Amino acid sequence: MNPASTHTLPAAPTRREFLLQAGGGFAGLALADLLSTDARAASPLTAKPSHFQAKAKHCVFLFMNGGPSQVDTFDPKPALAKFHGTPYTGEAKVGSNGRAVGHLMQSPFEFQQHGQSGLPISSLFPNIARFADDLCVIRSLHADTAAHASGCLQMNTGSIFIGKPSLGAWLNYGLGSANQNLPGFVVMTDPRGGPIGSASNWTAGYMPAAYQGTLFRSGVSPLLDLATPKGTDERTQRRSLDLLKKLNEAHLQMRPDDTELAARIESYELAYRMQSEALHAVDLAGESEATREMYGINDPRTADFGRKCLLTRRLIEKGVRFIQLYSGGGHLEETWDGHSDCIANHKLHAAETDRPIAALIADLKRTGLWEETLLVWGGEFGRTPTSEGVGKQGRDHNWHGFSMWLAGAGVQGGQAVGATDELGFKAVEERCHVSDLHATILRLMGVDHERLSYLNQGLNQRLTGVEEHHVLRKVLA
Amino acid sequence: MKNILLASFGLPRPEEILCRRGNRLLKLRTWIWIGLLGTAPVVVASVDYATDIKPLLQDKCYSCHGAVKQKGGLRLDAGVLIHKGGEHSILAAGDSGKSPLLERVMSEDLEERMPPKGKRLSQEQATLLRDWIQDGAKFPPNETVPKSPADHWSFQPLRRPAVPGNGSGEAAANPIDAFVLAELQKSARPVPAQASPSALLRRLHLDLTGLPPTPAEQDDFEQGQAPERLEGIIDTLLARPEYGERWARHWLDTVRYADSNGYERDAEKPFVWRYRDYLIDSLNQDKPYDRLILEQLAGDELPDASLESRIGTGFLRLGHWDDEPADSATDRFDQLDDIVSTTAQSLLGLTMGCARCHDHKFEPLSARDYYSFLSVFSPLQRPRKGRQELTLTVEGTEVYCWKEPSPIPPETYVLLRGSPSQPRERVEPAVPAILTKTQPAFPSPDEFTTRRRLGLARWIASPENPLTARVIVNRVWQQHFGRGLVSTANDFGLMGSPPSHPQLLEWLAYWFSHEAQWSLKKLHRLILSSRTWQSAKTQDSLIRYRRLEVEAIRDGMLAVSGALNPKRLGPAMRPSIPEAALEANTDKQKVWAVSPEPEASRRSVYAFIKRGLVLPMFESLDLADTVSSCPQRQVTTVAPQALTLFNGTFVNQQAKAFAERLRTEAGESPQSQLRLAFKLALCRPPSASELSELTAFLSVESLSEACRVILNLNEFVYPE
Repeated sequence: MNPASTHTLPAAPTRREFLLQAGGGFAGLALADLLSTDARAASPLTAKPSHFQAKAKHCVFLFMNGGPSQVDTFDPKPALAKFHGTPYTGEAKVGSNGRAVGHLMQSPFEFQQHGQSGLPISSLFPNIARFADDLCVIRSLHADTAAHASGCLQMNTGSIFIGKPSLGAWLNYGLGSANQNLPGFVVMTDPRGGPIGSASNWTAGYMPAAYQGTLFRSGVSPLLDLATPKGTDERTQRRSLDLLKKLNEAHLQMRPDDTELAARIESYELAYRMQSEALHAVDLAGESEATREMYGINDPRTADFGRKCLLTRRLIEKGVRFIQLYSGGGHLEETWDGHSDCIANHKLHAAETDRPIAALIADLKRTGLWEETLLVWGGEFGRTPTSEGVGKQGRDHNWHGFSMWLAGAGVQGGQAVGATDELGFKAVEERCHVSDLHATILRLMGVDHERLSYLNQGLNQRLTGVEEHHVLRKVLA
Repeated sequence: MKNILLASFGLPRPEEILCRRGNRLLKLRTWIWIGLLGTAPVVVASVDYATDIKPLLQDKCYSCHGAVKQKGGLRLDAGVLIHKGGEHSILAAGDSGKSPLLERVMSEDLEERMPPKGKRLSQEQATLLRDWIQDGAKFPPNETVPKSPADHWSFQPLRRPAVPGNGSGEAAANPIDAFVLAELQKSARPVPAQASPSALLRRLHLDLTGLPPTPAEQDDFEQGQAPERLEGIIDTLLARPEYGERWARHWLDTVRYADSNGYERDAEKPFVWRYRDYLIDSLNQDKPYDRLILEQLAGDELPDASLESRIGTGFLRLGHWDDEPADSATDRFDQLDDIVSTTAQSLLGLTMGCARCHDHKFEPLSARDYYSFLSVFSPLQRPRKGRQELTLTVEGTEVYCWKEPSPIPPETYVLLRGSPSQPRERVEPAVPAILTKTQPAFPSPDEFTTRRRLGLARWIASPENPLTARVIVNRVWQQHFGRGLVSTANDFGLMGSPPSHPQLLEWLAYWFSHEAQWSLKKLHRLILSSRTWQSAKTQDSLIRYRRLEVEAIRDGMLAVSGALNPKRLGPAMRPSIPEAALEANTDKQKVWAVSPEPEASRRSVYAFIKRGLVLPMFESLDLADTVSSCPQRQVTTVAPQALTLFNGTFVNQQAKAFAERLRTEAGESPQSQLRLAFKLALCRPPSASELSELTAFLSVESLSEACRVILNLNEFVYPE
């Protein structure tokens, strides 16, 4: 025990304490610098400098919920035709949760080489294939779990346990957002439902809730509680806000030193601006008929995902940092989870998304935003090269090896990186753990995964955890 | 050019060195390498201890030979200690050839070489070390020697410091004030003024019950005599059941409480709310804190075990749980880790979970400490049938707790890198070695259980435990003042913040555990009757402006509007939720069955906390993390909070009810409506300018619009 204290009253917070209060890491520091000058800048989402110079300023994660089959999409396996209908004799554990194990099953979808690069893509994606030279397919992904809940968690937060911040939250914490009038991390789910684990997939975990993903809908009230309440007209709303501000400012005058009080006054003004900005973002009236057609908004199959992709472009234009779109929601065949008939399942979900995704790429290229936008495509795991049950057409979960692709800012397109074994079961070359993918995405966004940390539970926590993980250098342009 | 030269010899590229040690070294080293490669003599005079040697030792040696751990009794984290050596001398200053320090790092014998794990010293690092020794192993005389962790303040036995007298030798009436005044006098700072009586009344009510004082209570208070009236109010409020409802929630934060398991099915924890009710009742009875610890850790193993004490052990089963884990062996240790981490943080202020995979890097906690501690809980099994969780039936009541199926404990091993497939030495129950010279005696098993938890609980709940009283006293202080005497409430270790008022904390902890019979109500009374707590909130006061927790905001609105349903205890209710918030759920139709009114208007402590779907209002207003122990609520200020509080259905409903109430109770005069509104919401009359602003507003807008504004005032959520 220290017998003679030299502390004065009140003890000034130490730097470490300040970081704890402000949310830690370099976000905390940026906040400290700005707090004194401008209460508006006190937002945890204030833009911050990156570790590296990076082209990518925005990231769009196209989450194919349920787990698309690698051998039917981006990882052609001629050997499957040869061994079609024979039992799998390799060492990988097949399937999940005691489901039936069938025989090896060739892909019914034809693979063709596309673009100058000749990147093979299956017939499921005729429109995306037009941009083959922009895609970098990683064929050697592997995850740690066979279950959707923990798989989605791992793909989104790096951990199979709930409570960890998601990739988008990390990016918002690390980089902030360019537009304070909109959330920095937007999530758009499938009308059939959210992914398993719903909000745990875009949570801020132990970080302040300000970094979490915000659900965005395409209707009149894209954000929760955005609309002026029923029965209150806009003039009344503004008058009420003005009164609130006036009364709060008088209160603040007697307590001028308190920055929280000042920030709270500003938050109401910010909310008001958010209302007009978000409504403007979802107002597609200004978009041409050609654009709507391109995104597939006029076709009922592609209308929903098309609207989301168009909305994505508009949100990127407004500076939103991270946008996640879910294809598939609810359960089983409503998602890419093709247990009973993988062929019909993938035909459905590919048809819903192929055209809108291609439109998004084309549109981003048209507007020049392609140069600063990173696209990520994939699900929580892949599917078995075997059928689920003999003579059946379903495929079970496969976490030993699966494919995802990256495209856009900073990505070396027109190539496939890594490889699965002959049958497409297990990643064998340049194996890419989900956390390696995260390290790579962070790198592309200008962030060093080893330096981006947040103090929690006595540890400097990282998205990529305590194990060593690596950026896939080949992906980088 | 240099870059090419160095790289061509297989050495680290300059930027790597720059990262570690800065420019100076790079220049220096270039010289040395020219020396080694060519014929020039080795440069020896320019090695600097602070910039060249210390970082090297820190990187390679401190983890085993530093303040936290001293293998062979050796520390290398200060020059004087390097010269001193450990069990053997390691240094012959001026003669690198006779210095074991250099021999060991240079050795080709893998048994001999240091460090034993990780990369060996590079050639140039070894050269630096050699030259430094050769040059006399100099170090600055004023270098501070890091304290040994064994001397860390919070690990020392509690003592009772003398209460300082004031200038004229008299002790202040309240010991808290005596300590604080003594500090103020030392630094010649002004004593902050006392807050106004009405501000104090509101502060007291919100602090102890989470609800504002009613107009009748305000009138009663004004008629009483100061200062006795304040003392009287404190006692009255502590005796109310609302006190337990308010303060149980603080403990629920600390113990990662939720009503569901999380993950895919996010199933309800059956009857877990009995644990919440147990806390509320226990706090209302003023159950001593040491007894609370015994019951929560070992309520089934106590000689006087009861239904109540068994419900208390729900503490151990509150964690998240995946009923379809990726790997069942790892999952088992994850569940135990949840218990170990929560127990250590909540009761001892130790971040023990970090020692799961290896010895803690920053705290004197080894993996052996961790697994010994874990072995206390490893006899526990989760009652279940497949994915379905089961309860135990005690005296006809379903209790959500673990079960020790056998008094024979399973064997527990240290797991290398935390991996269940790599067991190492076997361990027995023990408490972290740094905290005690002699391990507590763990009782032998009885015919039902191992009684290991009883052994641990008795050690934690002992007045001799150095951490327990300090940690809880600080939590209570933090809640009353907005900031703890130790600002890291879950971390009293080396990495935690030191206390701002060490003597005061020491006195409070000793008094609480030795003289106040661990009575939380006595502690509240002492704190709340101090001038220190009653002072106005200024830059000089210890008490700070801090936003109310979301529960107190919501409950306060319900109380003001008159809609609050005071029904106590029982199964959780589900407040209404915006439909849009369900959109992202896999089962949007079934996931949240809204409770009918007035059930949904009960206090927030009774709201169902679903790990996979936290009520948006709770989430945006910084509800505690539901997955791990929360040391203190975050206070963020962001636009979505304003959207919820200004546009959200709940607040608008309350504003309407509030307006209705004003019309009923204050009649049609806008002035009297506004006076009552301020009295209900802010516990004071409106100022003349407020009255004129609002009256003008009411000439064009409705009363419920004015009520919405009042419920959104900063003063409503940031009490004086």
